[in-house]
Amino acid sequence: MNKIIKRSCIVHLDRLTKIYGTNENKTVALHQISFQSFSGELILLIGPSGSGKTTLLTLIAGLTKPTTGTVSLFEKDIEHYTPRELQRLRAKRIGFIFQTFFLIDSLTAMENVEVVLHFTGKHRRDAHRQAMQLLHRFHMGYLSKRFPPSMSQGEKQRVAVIRALANNADLILADEPTGSLESKQGFDIIRLLQNYTKEHNKCVIVASHDLRLVDYADRILRLEDGMLRKGD
Amino acid sequence: MDIYAVRILISQPLRLVLTIGGVSLCVILMFFLLAVYQGVADGSVEYIRKNTVDLWALQRNATNILRGSSIVSALQGQSIRQIPGIKSVSPVLLLLTTVKKGDKTRTIFLTGFNPKDGIGGPPHIATGRGVQKDDEIVLDKSFAAKFKYKLGDSVKIQEHMLKVVGISTGTNAFVIQYVFVTLHFAQTLVGLQDMATCFLVKVKDGNNVNEVAHRIRKILPGIEVYDHKIFLENNIQEMESGFLPLLYTVALIGAVVLTVILSLLLSVNILERKKDFAILKTLGSPPEFLRRIIIMQALLISSISSIFALIIFFPLVKAIESISPEISTKLSVEQIIAVISVVAAMSLVSSFISMQRLRRIYLLEVFK
Repeated sequence: MNKIIKRSCIVHLDRLTKIYGTNENKTVALHQISFQSFSGELILLIGPSGSGKTTLLTLIAGLTKPTTGTVSLFEKDIEHYTPRELQRLRAKRIGFIFQTFFLIDSLTAMENVEVVLHFTGKHRRDAHRQAMQLLHRFHMGYLSKRFPPSMSQGEKQRVAVIRALANNADLILADEPTGSLESKQGFDIIRLLQNYTKEHNKCVIVASHDLRLVDYADRILRLEDGMLRKGD
Repeated sequence: MDIYAVRILISQPLRLVLTIGGVSLCVILMFFLLAVYQGVADGSVEYIRKNTVDLWALQRNATNILRGSSIVSALQGQSIRQIPGIKSVSPVLLLLTTVKKGDKTRTIFLTGFNPKDGIGGPPHIATGRGVQKDDEIVLDKSFAAKFKYKLGDSVKIQEHMLKVVGISTGTNAFVIQYVFVTLHFAQTLVGLQDMATCFLVKVKDGNNVNEVAHRIRKILPGIEVYDHKIFLENNIQEMESGFLPLLYTVALIGAVVLTVILSLLLSVNILERKKDFAILKTLGSPPEFLRRIIIMQALLISSISSIFALIIFFPLVKAIESISPEISTKLSVEQIIAVISVVAAMSLVSSFISMQRLRRIYLLEVFK
């Protein structure tokens, strides 16, 4: 029997513009960006450095506000979320992956995963058990007691991905997740994200300038000079 | 996540050790001030506390014997004896005089009392015995230790040589110590045989002390009479008015230094971990989670410092007391709890000060 998968709108951007500075120092980072993303979809946001990919991710995450236009997250205008609601949203429904991993060096791999589970309100013991299970599921159990400075780049990124997936996020925002990795490690990470999208019906938005990732995306959005290229 | 607070602290061991050292010294300072205060408080009024007579009669307007002068005459003493209900009247003469040993001169509180009834004499004799004759003296223990006097030694007061027959305790008022001689010798020293500082009065059983006091005041308008409790309170108040402001000032400085040291460490830790905090914020950390990390660090440092301070306080005090015997200290469990509570409160204050820095950490830091 085929499983019926409900596709819901996760992100809806409507004529989004972001301008930094004023008057002569004005920089238009994003101009009139509109698109929607749905659950079960891996979107590749591709473009050269400075094209506005990261700015777009920060706007989607509610970390910064648009100059004009609207961002709707989980079918609600982001302006209507209180700071507390946005914090809870980031803790429970959004996962982040960064190019330079941003693991906390003074915490072990297991604690790095455990910490985000705390944010979802999980009790210490449950968070600990779940973090351990996740590491084992992704064959990273051997790293549980190791600190990030003693890990390879690939190991760090895999732990960072596990951290992003730990809260069973509906939306994963990945900023150049393969940027610091060798090809094989990069493909491993993107495949992992692709599986997560399909198996769990989640939405993943990957910002990258790596054209080799296009084969893994359900949809590709090309950003150039802060604008989505026509025809994409 | 408590472990994160611990890891931040131990990541800079030297800084942690220096901070704990600084905070411990502040805690020791507070312990020491309280202990000295208690020692002085007890030593200053122990003489009065232990001479449990019913009434203390002094010259009018004199309220205490620590920082006030009172002169009464033997004639007034005889008049008091005639008042109905009086059991005994013991004159005591307190004089500020000096003892010279070698090239050192020290001021003492010379207390002349009648050795026959013993009233007004030393509260405790630690070694030896009380004075019986005019050429004998009982010295305070810390005074004797400081000037290396022992039983049988001679003490020169003005031109008189007195033999040390006893060592007393509870007679160290920190800045000055009580020594005890006969009333007759004290009066000889000032050249006024009828003179005394006050009368220690005992009331016959079955008589109301207040009524007897009233009778004394009525018959002798130049005399003020206090019951034992009020007189003790007067002297405690007098001692505190001269000592407590200093104590509070130094204790306040200690508390401020402690807060500054802790705030500095916590702020530096936040600045150094700015990126970590920004990551945690971006990942959805509730504000209270980050605040808790700061509070945990502050409480950890103050707890470790308090324990460390407690461990080294008592041997340190012992060493100080052996160098300066006039410093007598007493530290009760209640005082230890009070200091630790103050330290905990100040560490919370310092964590709240440092928390302000958290607000200035922007989530976008992680995308730079």
